[in-house]
Amino acid sequence: MKEEEKNRANNVRNVQIVVFRLGDEEYGLNIDQIKEVVITPSITRVPQKPSFIKGVSNIRGNIIAMLDLEEKFGLRKTIDEHAGSNFTLVIDSFEYKMGVLVKEVPNTLSIAESAIEEFTLAGESNDEQSYIKGIVKLEKRLIIMIDIFKVLSQHEEQQVFKKQTVGVGV
Amino acid sequence: MSTKEEEYRDIFLTEAIENYNEINRLLTVLEKNASDIKSVHALFRITHTLKGNATGMGFESIAEIAHILEDLFGAVREGRIAITADMFVSVYKAADVLGELIEAIRSPRDVKYRGIKTKLEVMLRTALAQQPADIAIHDPIQGSGQHTTIASELLDILGEEELDEEKDAKLSFSHLVQVPVQKLDNLLNLVGELVIERDRIIASGLGRHSANEYSRLNRISSDLQYSVMDVRLVPVDFLFNKFHRIVRDAASKEKKIVTLKLKGTETEIDRNILQVISDSLIHLVRNAIGHGIEKPETRKQYGKEEHGTVTLEANSESDIVIIAIRDDGGGIDIARLRRKAVEKGILSLQEASQWSDHDIMMLIFEPGFSTMDEVTSLAGRGVGMDVVKKALDSIGGTIHIETKVGEGTTFFMRLPSSMAVKSTLLFELNSETFAIPLSYTERVISIYKSDIHTVANGLITVYQGKTISLLYLHDLFRHERSSMATLERFHPEAKLEIVVVAFNGRWVGFIVDKLLQQKEIIEKPLQKPVDGVSLISGVTILGNGNVCLVLSIPGILNTISHTQHNKISL
Repeated sequence: MKEEEKNRANNVRNVQIVVFRLGDEEYGLNIDQIKEVVITPSITRVPQKPSFIKGVSNIRGNIIAMLDLEEKFGLRKTIDEHAGSNFTLVIDSFEYKMGVLVKEVPNTLSIAESAIEEFTLAGESNDEQSYIKGIVKLEKRLIIMIDIFKVLSQHEEQQVFKKQTVGVGV
Repeated sequence: MSTKEEEYRDIFLTEAIENYNEINRLLTVLEKNASDIKSVHALFRITHTLKGNATGMGFESIAEIAHILEDLFGAVREGRIAITADMFVSVYKAADVLGELIEAIRSPRDVKYRGIKTKLEVMLRTALAQQPADIAIHDPIQGSGQHTTIASELLDILGEEELDEEKDAKLSFSHLVQVPVQKLDNLLNLVGELVIERDRIIASGLGRHSANEYSRLNRISSDLQYSVMDVRLVPVDFLFNKFHRIVRDAASKEKKIVTLKLKGTETEIDRNILQVISDSLIHLVRNAIGHGIEKPETRKQYGKEEHGTVTLEANSESDIVIIAIRDDGGGIDIARLRRKAVEKGILSLQEASQWSDHDIMMLIFEPGFSTMDEVTSLAGRGVGMDVVKKALDSIGGTIHIETKVGEGTTFFMRLPSSMAVKSTLLFELNSETFAIPLSYTERVISIYKSDIHTVANGLITVYQGKTISLLYLHDLFRHERSSMATLERFHPEAKLEIVVVAFNGRWVGFIVDKLLQQKEIIEKPLQKPVDGVSLISGVTILGNGNVCLVLSIPGILNTISHTQHNKISL
């Protein structure tokens, strides 16, 4: 029995994750989703979009939407705009062109796939939890794994919903 | 031979070679599995197309062979004959002759085709005659005596031919390459990036290098850009020629006599634009026949010729293509439009009497506005004209109408000739750079703050007798209801720069901080998750690497008029 377990442990699949800090917490994205990390270029604001979409930037000739997840997740304590949003994680996706603003240089970690724990928030069904894929516990650290595409699709649904309510209102 | 004819010939050749290869492929499939009805259908369709194309181009020999093959596969398709192994010999032979005939268009030479044609005819007739008895008989030559002898004689002749033709059994290739538009779009995008990068390098190198250091780079990249754009251009002919049939059908439905005239068909335009406007053009032409041209009796009464004329005319003017749809019908009854607008509750009586003829005419592009009292299959349902407008808005085109009662109506569509490059005016506002397409820019004026008046939360000014409502873009972007607070910030004696844009005959001025320059830009669409912004049509990358928003004038003006409507309804 024990040998079998050992074997399994040796064959365990490792995943690489990119860890970055938002507010006081550490968040993680699967490395496959990230194309590169760049120094945040200048951002052009775009109207008619929620405030967590800071605007668009030119990254190597591609037009990238810049997302402020601290604002999206409600993690910002002070109001200092962009203060220290020095780096941008460019997300690798055909459909979405976007980057995530972060303060510090993100680092990569290799963890066992099984280390990502399923997780459900206490309380009734919470919108926030749908984009949380799981939790990684490493010694004293706790990393929240997120699905970046869910963050956006949820926002889109909300927008559609908003439009409908406006329509009713008028 | 004119270049246009040559172009058509090349296109025909490309298609014909494709057809020929496809016929050969399908034949081998069918030979292996004679019951494969799908291949029979495909063969019938391809030979039919080939026959049509060849007839259209005047290549009778190809048309004849394609015709007999079509008949043959038609009969097989309908189950009137069964295809047999020895039939394949002749059919392959016919396909070879077809290939040679196609090849002969490019390098003229004598190709004997009547023999195989007659042979196939005989084969088909024999097979058809046999059919009632038993379609499964595998030897058609056993059928009726007379035909059989002709057939076998022919077989001998053909046998001889076959010998010397074996030699030149080489593959033929077309001079044209078909490329998916997607690939061209990608290519254009890359060239766009190259041009942006070039501008950036030149901007950063200024001062350190002399300007002609980059002149070669400049020239080569410009040439490249225009060559790629040129590849995407097609003559409007491609679209116009389809209208012979559309006009004919529409006229016969309406019981009117209409001839179509085409002018300026060699004018070139971006293929994507042609695609966007094709439905609009169909609609306008049907409209001209349905609403414009009168019935023959009526025309006679007015002393006009019985047959009406619809003219499609294309003209190019620097980077704009104007397509005019002209009819010599009764013209638009503007007085009736006014009445209709009041009846439908779109305008009040007072508004209806005050609006200019031009503004009244533009109402026909409003959704749900139709002047026809009776609805016909062609026109009068009040759908479509607004679609025309939307299609034009989406590509930055405009439309206007000229009409004379009793003499006819002309719709003018002004279209950009290429979607890739836009001439724009760059300006600065709150230290951000924006671009306005020049096609909407009416003029640039500079006025004193004291010339600006506030009216019902909005700003207006009078310029050369025309009232222009003014707008501070950031108020719109932030959904401010009033621009008054913004105005307060300016020094009382400040001189303000205003960019005046015109859209649908409405003039609106944007207050800007600083005018920069006129620039040809390559516009890129905004992609997810920042798509669906109505105020912005796209973005471009400036020489300094920053992203610049390109304003969508139709989007902005529509938003303004909507908020105004809301204000009234509130």
